Amino acid sequence: MAWHHELRAIGRALVRRRDDEREMDEEMRFHLDMETRALERAGLPPEAARRRALRAFGGVERYKEEVRDERGTRPLDDLAHDVRVAWRALRRRPAFTAVAALTLALGIGATTALFGVVKSVLLTPLPYADPARVAVVWSAWKGYEQTWLSYDEWEGYRARIPAFRDVGLWADGALTFTGGGGDVGSERVRAGFVGANVFPILGVTPALGRGFTAEEDRPDGPAVVVLGHALWQRRFGGDPAIVGRPVQVDGEAVTVVGVMPAGFRLPLDYGGDGPTEAWRPLATDAAQQGAVPGPAFPKNGMSHGFYGVARLVDDAPAAAVAERANRQLRDFVAGLERDGVYPPGMEFRAYAVPVEAQVTGRVRPALLVVFAAVGLVLLIACANVAGLLLVRGELRRRELAVRVALGVGPARLARLLLAESVLLAAIGGALGVTLAVLGVRLVRHLAPAGLPRVAEATLDGGVLLFALAAAGAAALLTGLLPTLQAWRVAPSVELREGGRSASVGAARLRWRQALVVGEVALAVVLVTGAGLMVRSVRNLLAVDAGFRPDGVLTMQLSTPSTWYADSTRVAAFWDELQRRVAALPGVDAVGAVRLLPLSTEMGDWGLQVDGYTPPPQQGTPGDWQVVTPGYFEAMGLRRRAGRFLEPRDALGAPLAMVVNQRFAETYLAGRPPLGARVRVNGGPPDAWATVVGVVDDVRHNALTREVKPQFYATLRQFAVSPGNTMRTMSLVVRTRGAPTALVAPVRAAVRALDPRLPVSEVRTMREVVDASIAGPRFAMALLALFGAVALALSAIGLFGIVAQVVTARTYEFGVRAALGASPRELVLLGVRAGAAQAAAGLALGTALALVLARGLGSLLHGVAPSDPVTLAVVVAVTGAVALAASAWPARRAGRVDPATVLHDA
Amino acid sequence: MSPAARSDLLQGTLDMLVLKTLSLEPMHGWGISVRLRQISGEVFEVQQGSLYPALQRMLRRGWVRSTWRATEHNRRARYYELTAEGRRQLAEQVAEWERSARAVDRVLRFAFQGG
Repeated sequence: MAWHHELRAIGRALVRRRDDEREMDEEMRFHLDMETRALERAGLPPEAARRRALRAFGGVERYKEEVRDERGTRPLDDLAHDVRVAWRALRRRPAFTAVAALTLALGIGATTALFGVVKSVLLTPLPYADPARVAVVWSAWKGYEQTWLSYDEWEGYRARIPAFRDVGLWADGALTFTGGGGDVGSERVRAGFVGANVFPILGVTPALGRGFTAEEDRPDGPAVVVLGHALWQRRFGGDPAIVGRPVQVDGEAVTVVGVMPAGFRLPLDYGGDGPTEAWRPLATDAAQQGAVPGPAFPKNGMSHGFYGVARLVDDAPAAAVAERANRQLRDFVAGLERDGVYPPGMEFRAYAVPVEAQVTGRVRPALLVVFAAVGLVLLIACANVAGLLLVRGELRRRELAVRVALGVGPARLARLLLAESVLLAAIGGALGVTLAVLGVRLVRHLAPAGLPRVAEATLDGGVLLFALAAAGAAALLTGLLPTLQAWRVAPSVELREGGRSASVGAARLRWRQALVVGEVALAVVLVTGAGLMVRSVRNLLAVDAGFRPDGVLTMQLSTPSTWYADSTRVAAFWDELQRRVAALPGVDAVGAVRLLPLSTEMGDWGLQVDGYTPPPQQGTPGDWQVVTPGYFEAMGLRRRAGRFLEPRDALGAPLAMVVNQRFAETYLAGRPPLGARVRVNGGPPDAWATVVGVVDDVRHNALTREVKPQFYATLRQFAVSPGNTMRTMSLVVRTRGAPTALVAPVRAAVRALDPRLPVSEVRTMREVVDASIAGPRFAMALLALFGAVALALSAIGLFGIVAQVVTARTYEFGVRAALGASPRELVLLGVRAGAAQAAAGLALGTALALVLARGLGSLLHGVAPSDPVTLAVVVAVTGAVALAASAWPARRAGRVDPATVLHDA
Repeated sequence: MSPAARSDLLQGTLDMLVLKTLSLEPMHGWGISVRLRQISGEVFEVQQGSLYPALQRMLRRGWVRSTWRATEHNRRARYYELTAEGRRQLAEQVAEWERSARAVDRVLRFAFQGG
């Protein structure tokens, strides 16, 4: 290939420059010698022969130049020359260079860091085969936007939704690993219970061994487990011979059949709960529990307790198939409703969400807002450096005029000036990448636990390429205006004007002024975003959660059936543990609960409330919370009426129930709630519980979500009606001291009671609350940071322009001072130079903010994007900063000494 | 004809003639210039120095390569020889030249008959 050869030739010429020159000299000398000798042989005298040879050759130097041109290195040589000149120019002004390069580094670094996060979270494909065709399938009904599937629905979807090639079910839970791999203690890990077809649907094959067979995915099938890569490494030392060996899981021997590849996760493992690390067959016994095998449906749709994942068919683009699947799901469900499977009042729906949208959908808005914000910071940084370069351009007008007068063309002039921008951007880019390394770490630290895959964010090749592009854009943006400015240099005017031109400014200042207006406007936008987020987070923190989170330590414990055969033993364990923990110094109250508020979403349970008839086609659902006596005091719930649950609400005692305010308002409206009778569906027919207390609503699912009717029952009595034993619960400890100080003593108490039980999810309740609003907090923290940077940069910009104006008008100020103007009047004159731009920037920025703040949309809580209070504060703050930035350099105007100035003139 | 177009034509012709000369045997720059004068019968008159930018261009494009060798009078000289790519170029340029020469020839004959 010709260009390929040329490139190599040019490369060689660059390296061989000196040899090439020498050889060219020698070659031409040889030519002239030979020609001279030939002419001598033809009879010319030596002198004449030499002259004739030279004439026939043409100009030796001219052809040497032409040969040099033909080597193809000329553009590079010129570039190297320009860069050298630019470098010398930058080195002569180290302060200017440092400020400009650091400003760009800030912009490029912040943008690059955020891009690294965006790439990892939003752009990197999920680790499934053709992830666009994997979808999570959900049910929804009144009060539940996104909830589980039932066994029968799954069978129905498999058979009746042609857009699904296959549908699989899984559930999540936990497994306790004991013994086995060396001297590591017992460990509880999040686990998935997956149908045999789930791994094939995701298109992931185990790195070692195999997945589950259909035979294993049956009730009472063989005891098998597939390990996650991290667990395999951590607990079994990456033993390659692990497949086929038994390990101790939940107290029984289970055979390892496979190890999944590193980074494998189930579709819902990207949320805040962390990934599942081991998998066992789902082996659902739903078919034996009353579900109807095959596509027929029993009345009421059966219990919903599975996650669903589908592989879409590939006869059309993935998005189109997903749409078709949702259409088919709608039609199918409508048919079920016609058949009376679901009551119309339930408003049952089913839908599929492509797994990518499922994983990133929640965080996408926050991340994109933050990324847009950081883009604005880069713009401001560029505007600032462009402003600095314009000032330098002013100072270099004479130098540039001389160059133009000497015949430097516009292209060469542009190259010379751009070389400076490119060099600055290169230095800024290099520093920026260093900053980005720190920035990525900062974001990883600030990021909410629910920000999927942020831990994997690194500066890889793609991100570095982005940094390069950002630096290139910065070079162009900063170099453009100075070049335009230089092109308008007219040597005839410039060189005649002499050293001081009284008119520096006015027309030529306009570009800088426009830049500063833009900077202030963008700063207003960013600070508005930050302000709205701060207010929003404050609103969230002010929401009454219904409990007192401070001073509470929580941790999760599980009591597997291998060691705790029935609910009596489980309850006895919790009684004893609570007794021991209560005895620890500093502990005020202790209890246990099925699901921590603001941590895990709660489902509902069908109820009968004596004296309440639900509207036609609607049930009487209640969110169900199972507790041990002591929980209410430990979590700090507020009693409205009656009493909390107590130790006397035990096995054999009359069934007692505490309900929340919403329950009382909804189901017990107009009558005294205490004494009302409630039956939990699925329990013994005569197992009516009596409401003994009412508590204030606890915002269980989220601070911003609507509260639903909720009831509390004790662990012991819930095991009677409806008959479920809670195997996993959270211990809740209230202390008057620092909750974290209790971690070690409480752990020790658990170990002393039963060393086999692993403790997990050790968190303070404050951490749980904070994590639940981590998304808005994350956006707030970063927007506040960028807002501050934007404010600082635009202040520097204003400072610069006022300083320049004051310098340019020193003579005028001197005259005014001589004519009797007071220093105060002069300072005001200087400030006015910046005030106009600041005012224009504030106005423009407010208009922009009103438009752009709408992008914050779902991140805001209790504050409108156009919130007038926030805007007023932002304008006041930005205005004050602008005023200060103008006043500082303007003070010089007041100190102008007329005698000196006029004398120098 | 503009001076630029004229120089393009000259340069193209020079390239072809140099390639043709080198197709017989490897040769140094002065040798090429002597051979050009001989075969063109002094009709093709260019300054001898203009040969060197042309040779440098052909080196860059990979049509020729150069080596330093001793002449028969034992002086060091830079010899040029054709590469495979150079041979291809020569064949192409000759074919192109002949095509346009035939066309010009036809035009002239037609003009003569028609006149």
